[in-house]
Amino acid sequence: MIPSTKTVLAVAASALLLVASGACSAPGSDEASGGSDSGPIKFALVDAQSGQLSSLGAWELKGAKLAVNEFNEAGGLDGRKVELTVFDDQGDPTTGTSIASKVTAGGYTAMIGTAESAVTLAMNPILKAAKVPSITSGQSPAISKLGSPFQFFNGPTSVTYDETLAKYLVEDKGYKTFAMISNNGGYGTGEHDAFKAALSSRNITPTDDKVVTTDQKDFSSVLTSIRGKNPDVLFIGTEEVEAGLIAKQARELGLKSVFAGAAPLSTPVYAQTAGNANVEGTIVSTPYLSNDATDASKKFAAAYKAAYNEEAELHGAKAYDGTNIFLTALKATNGEGGQKLADQIRATKYAGLLGSFAYDDQGVGIHETKIGLIKSGALTAAQ
Amino acid sequence: MQVQLQTLIGGLTLGAIYALVALGFSLVYRTMGLVNFANGQIVMIGAYTASTFYMTAKLPFAVAIVIAVVITGALGLVIERVLRPLEGRDFDLMLIGTIGFGVMLEALATIIWGATGRAVPSPLKAAPIDVGGLRIRTYSIVVLIVAALATIALVAFLQRTKLGSAMQAVAMDPDAATAVGIHVGRSNAIAFAVGAGLAALAGGLAGPLLYVNASLGGSLGIKGFAAAILGGFGNIQGAIVGGLAIGVLDSFAAGQFEGYSELVVFVVFTVVIMILPTGIFGERTVNRA
Repeated sequence: MIPSTKTVLAVAASALLLVASGACSAPGSDEASGGSDSGPIKFALVDAQSGQLSSLGAWELKGAKLAVNEFNEAGGLDGRKVELTVFDDQGDPTTGTSIASKVTAGGYTAMIGTAESAVTLAMNPILKAAKVPSITSGQSPAISKLGSPFQFFNGPTSVTYDETLAKYLVEDKGYKTFAMISNNGGYGTGEHDAFKAALSSRNITPTDDKVVTTDQKDFSSVLTSIRGKNPDVLFIGTEEVEAGLIAKQARELGLKSVFAGAAPLSTPVYAQTAGNANVEGTIVSTPYLSNDATDASKKFAAAYKAAYNEEAELHGAKAYDGTNIFLTALKATNGEGGQKLADQIRATKYAGLLGSFAYDDQGVGIHETKIGLIKSGALTAAQ
Repeated sequence: MQVQLQTLIGGLTLGAIYALVALGFSLVYRTMGLVNFANGQIVMIGAYTASTFYMTAKLPFAVAIVIAVVITGALGLVIERVLRPLEGRDFDLMLIGTIGFGVMLEALATIIWGATGRAVPSPLKAAPIDVGGLRIRTYSIVVLIVAALATIALVAFLQRTKLGSAMQAVAMDPDAATAVGIHVGRSNAIAFAVGAGLAALAGGLAGPLLYVNASLGGSLGIKGFAAAILGGFGNIQGAIVGGLAIGVLDSFAAGQFEGYSELVVFVVFTVVIMILPTGIFGERTVNRA
């Protein structure tokens, strides 16, 4: 039987009304917003699952998923499970803002991510207005300067990374001349400012201070200029793939300087892109040196390997720590989100894989890093 | 001076890759008057396929690239076959169709190869050649030679073979070509297959220079497209000159303008196109819109 026009119109109108009634609900007012005491608790994971930064997003997802699965298997929150929904921000701030609106309208209690400072900065005002706590893997000091009580970091900021690095390079190793390459993205700008300030406080001016674009593939020009001055150290302040390309091309052009930088240089992507021989001796500032460092990291690495058949690394560990801090706080608020959850996160003291988390007013929980050295393709503690 | 020469060498290497991508764009445009917006993503599929046969199946690098060229050539045939019913009917829909294929291929690559991407080791272990302080990567020389050979082969195919001549005839006047018994659909299919093969060659060669992930086609596709337009869209020699020009311009802009280099490259590109709207070689090809 063919339905009459009236029937079709009636069904369409009902469907529209249903959609409209859902869309008109106040953010966080539905059952799953965290304020209720039944049903799943919704967490959003926002990270690049496609695009050049998708490796970061893939690691973050694995770390966060592991923490959520362990939480749920241990009984959840009095039987209530946490449900993790993945959003792909493609490493793009504009896509990030659109996702932020979905997260705030979708009744999510908390957000894990993003791994990119620029995307975190773009999403922040929307999440802050809706009082949705989020934890970023980005490390740009610009994020902490936002002063949002709902924004947290799951690792140190560039200031900590680069102050520790500069201290080691200048005071412990006695290096005197430095060249810098950073990119003009959110991460690179933060690294540039932080490392330059750390050098400046030690009365050192870099021989070269070069800025590249985030999409650049050929670095012949900047590297040849740097090679002419033969600095002791080349600081690389870019994400992992670009850092790997810079290291590879630098060695091919005959640059002898020691490479140094923060978290991206500790990843397998950096070493594989550049080639193990080219990254030998790279000095890295990182809060996560190895999977064998502690009993907790061994346990995490074993669970990670069992779940994904891959070696665990820094970004997975960061997301695992960040998610666990949120889950710990969530238990204390009995599933309630918003201001109460944010306050509870700030009050949470957590012994994580990256160290002891204790949050300050700017949402920074880890305040120190360690120095690692790449030897025979593996990151080891520097002596 | 050394900085300038070293920059030139770096620019030419990437320029050769852009040139191959531009050739893929130009060949399809020359034959069909259609911009294949999926060309960049075909480059990426080619890069992934070549890297899989090279790194996972452990085949020699050259063999892996040949297999990738064949596979993406077949992919080109599929795309053309899907779009064929629209030929001569709805040109805009064909354009959107190529964009749709591009999006699909990127999603497909993420499903097959994952989101993380992979670094492809260089097939040549030889150290860079040192010429008076200038360092020339041996792999860069290979890339330049392969790009040159591919261009010569393509020109020979178009000018010296019956099939190539038929494709040229279709490009000039599809109705007249049909009247003399040339199968326009088959000619278009070959253009798509050869264009996709060239894209795979570009992707395969780019692997050891760059990093292979699903978004690789985006940046290479844009630069290749710009190169094709700069040279004269549809012109084979123009694609090569345009590719090398964009590569070199890119490298010099990076040295001089640092973080603003992308902006400078496209401002220069826009100015050149305003002065020479049909590109350096002033190509005028079909427009079936």
